[in-house]
Amino acid sequence: MNITEKAKNIIDNCRFCWMCRHVCPIGNATGQERNTARARALSASLVVRGASALKEIADNVYECTLCGACTNNCVTGWDPKVFIQELKTEIVLNGETPAYITALLEKYQKTGNVYGQEACKCLDELYNTDSETLLFVGQNALYKSPESVKNAVALLNKAGVKVSLTKEQDSGAALWFLTGRTQETQDAAKKCAAAMNKYKTVIVYDPADLSLIRHEYKEWGIEITAETVGFNEYLLSLTESGKINVKKSENEYTLQDNYAYARELDDCETGRKLIEKAGVNKEMLLIGKEANAAGQAIMAEYMPDVMTQVAKDRWKNAENMGCRTLVTESPAEYVALKATAPQGYRVISVEEMLLENL
Amino acid sequence: MNDFLFTQILTELEDAVGRENCSVKEIDKVTHSVDYFWLSRMWADRGRKMPQADFIVSPKDARETSKVVKIANYYKIPVTVWGGGGGTQGGAIPLCGGILLDTKRMNEIYEVNTQSLYIECGAGAIYKHIEWAANEKGYATMHYPSSLTCSTVGGFLAHRGIGVVSTKYGKIDDMVLQMEVVLPNGDIINTSPAPKHAAGPDLNQIFIGSEGTLGIITKAQIRIYEQPEARRFRGFLFKDMSSAFQASREILQKFKPSVMRLYDEAETSTLIKKIVGVEKPGAFMNVAYEGVKELVDVEEKILLNTFNKYGAEDLGSEYGEKWWKEKITFFYPGNMMDLPQMFGTMDTIAPYDKIEKIYWAMKKAVETNFPQARFIAHFSHWYEWGCMIYDRFIIDGKDVPKDPAEAMRLHNAIWTLGVRTAIANGGVVNDHHGVGMKLGRLMKEQYGPAMQVFEGLKKSLDPNGILNPFKLGL
Repeated sequence: MNITEKAKNIIDNCRFCWMCRHVCPIGNATGQERNTARARALSASLVVRGASALKEIADNVYECTLCGACTNNCVTGWDPKVFIQELKTEIVLNGETPAYITALLEKYQKTGNVYGQEACKCLDELYNTDSETLLFVGQNALYKSPESVKNAVALLNKAGVKVSLTKEQDSGAALWFLTGRTQETQDAAKKCAAAMNKYKTVIVYDPADLSLIRHEYKEWGIEITAETVGFNEYLLSLTESGKINVKKSENEYTLQDNYAYARELDDCETGRKLIEKAGVNKEMLLIGKEANAAGQAIMAEYMPDVMTQVAKDRWKNAENMGCRTLVTESPAEYVALKATAPQGYRVISVEEMLLENL
Repeated sequence: MNDFLFTQILTELEDAVGRENCSVKEIDKVTHSVDYFWLSRMWADRGRKMPQADFIVSPKDARETSKVVKIANYYKIPVTVWGGGGGTQGGAIPLCGGILLDTKRMNEIYEVNTQSLYIECGAGAIYKHIEWAANEKGYATMHYPSSLTCSTVGGFLAHRGIGVVSTKYGKIDDMVLQMEVVLPNGDIINTSPAPKHAAGPDLNQIFIGSEGTLGIITKAQIRIYEQPEARRFRGFLFKDMSSAFQASREILQKFKPSVMRLYDEAETSTLIKKIVGVEKPGAFMNVAYEGVKELVDVEEKILLNTFNKYGAEDLGSEYGEKWWKEKITFFYPGNMMDLPQMFGTMDTIAPYDKIEKIYWAMKKAVETNFPQARFIAHFSHWYEWGCMIYDRFIIDGKDVPKDPAEAMRLHNAIWTLGVRTAIANGGVVNDHHGVGMKLGRLMKEQYGPAMQVFEGLKKSLDPNGILNPFKLGL
């Protein structure tokens, strides 16, 4: 198997260690032994040793959200995401891609996105390229949560910020998730970087895209000359400069820490600061770097029942602590939690929270 | 088994638990074939396949579990129960194939009862998850083994596990009120509504430690405790272990600390030096005491006076706090012994008049007969009458036979000698990891004619011998 020594080393260290089982959102939702970092490593180690076939582990590799809870939980610093992503590339290059993944890739080839969707007509009036600042909303928001895009633009407009918005919203994140570091993924990333570099500033709405740009682009040698800033961070600067005049209310809000923000981008604070400006911060269990993932948009396409359970499990944390309003930082978690909200509970995005407290 | 019959059984199992919860896929067979047992890990490391189950089933409750067991009884095929797979004794390995019953879908937390202080949950709940549920209401389970995050409530009950604050709060068998159990014939029973009664023998204690050989635990009521107002740590250095035993025995006549861990000189100079940072030679001991603050103040005074009497150097609270913070770090890859090393933990328990003798006898037996082995130990679960030795042998990779069969031969020889030595000097086959397949052969040596009590239970409850064959010596 053509994977790096680094990946092999992680596999050999993770294959007999169960310490992170309790934090895997998929394992907790399914109760299946295979949904653990150790099971993935053990089965991969047998493929490395020639005792098992690559195709036998393909499905299981695609049952990982890449949320990084296991990585964060490992006190000795092993990162199972590394070998998971290398295995995906190996699976794709060896023609062992599961049919449901192939179907998503075919949709991508045909339509430019793995959802096979047209962008919502309701966004048509928002597209423009007049500003030097690009709002990069990403494919998850564009195709799965157009209302988030509208709210984000509305809030920025209220602050007097004019942004460019285009239909070109492919950072390469979907191909990265489905195929790892393939040529196609890097080509998509390069194309995206070239589009971004036409602007002075790029506000990146989805933390999944921001993480890819900050980490993988750098690793792949793809240069972004535009200044990139996360959406939360940008909103915070607008509230602090007084361009967004938020009135602090008595409303209780609970942050659903997005795992990319919390673990990949090391930012557990910005969302909380925004909550403090709009209302009262009420925490639930498993927050910050230890946050439970509540959704993953692409996995919701091919394992919807499990991802519904993942979101419901997160709601249990909120219910146990009486947290009635969850505030999300990513479109994928917004959509997943909205679809599963228990009666009397609601989910809003960060921009919705600010809009309701202007 | 022919394809036709195999498929027939598969369809019946799918009917029992739902098609999506019954697997014959290689990935599920592989991941349920290797547990934390050194032999299974070594076998996989050498690219060899461990015995695999034919069917992996995940029932959601006792009713579905009952259906599975009835099918197994009809076709007379084995059922091996798997919780988290974190056992070190090979207890969860499906040695004879057949059905592997994974309990982790039985993970519901039904109730956090703050009136009577227990959590009712499915036996497949990860223990850390019930700890979180307790924490959300301001309580704690006080069961903190190194496998807290990876093992299930049922797993701890099945092998009679223990956590690091056991000296104050007890072992898992002290922490359970009632259990639901599926018998090998498929009947679903409940143990008595409360323990500590005079209505005959305690049914809980028949199934706790039975390692899935007498029944399948599907639900339990687990005790929770108020969070202590104060938890303090104190590290000590004793010049030798004898004085530490005397000091500890005296302390336990006065009050019960939560943590008591005494490390022999060899472990102090290796693991404790590496993880906790104690540089000085001697036997390191960490003691924690907790509860109501006023009582903790008094306990601290008693502890310091008593240990001082036996010449212990007071190292303050820093090392103990560091140990508490890192208590699970010891077991992560990179810190824990790992392949290609060969290693094993021969924990045993005995009264104070025998415990030190057992330690020296085992150390001598292992190091004399197997000079390639190092022997280290700590003593970590203490009672008024005695304590537990957590003794380990370690052989470096260069001295481990490359041939897996030869490696197994050496491994088993060390274990047989070590445990026989413990038994000969008044110890027990095992303290808290269980027996599994690893030590089954030594159960008869331990119990002699008393073994017929276990065998009688097995024969009566499981006449077809379907539940977890070749484990616990049954």
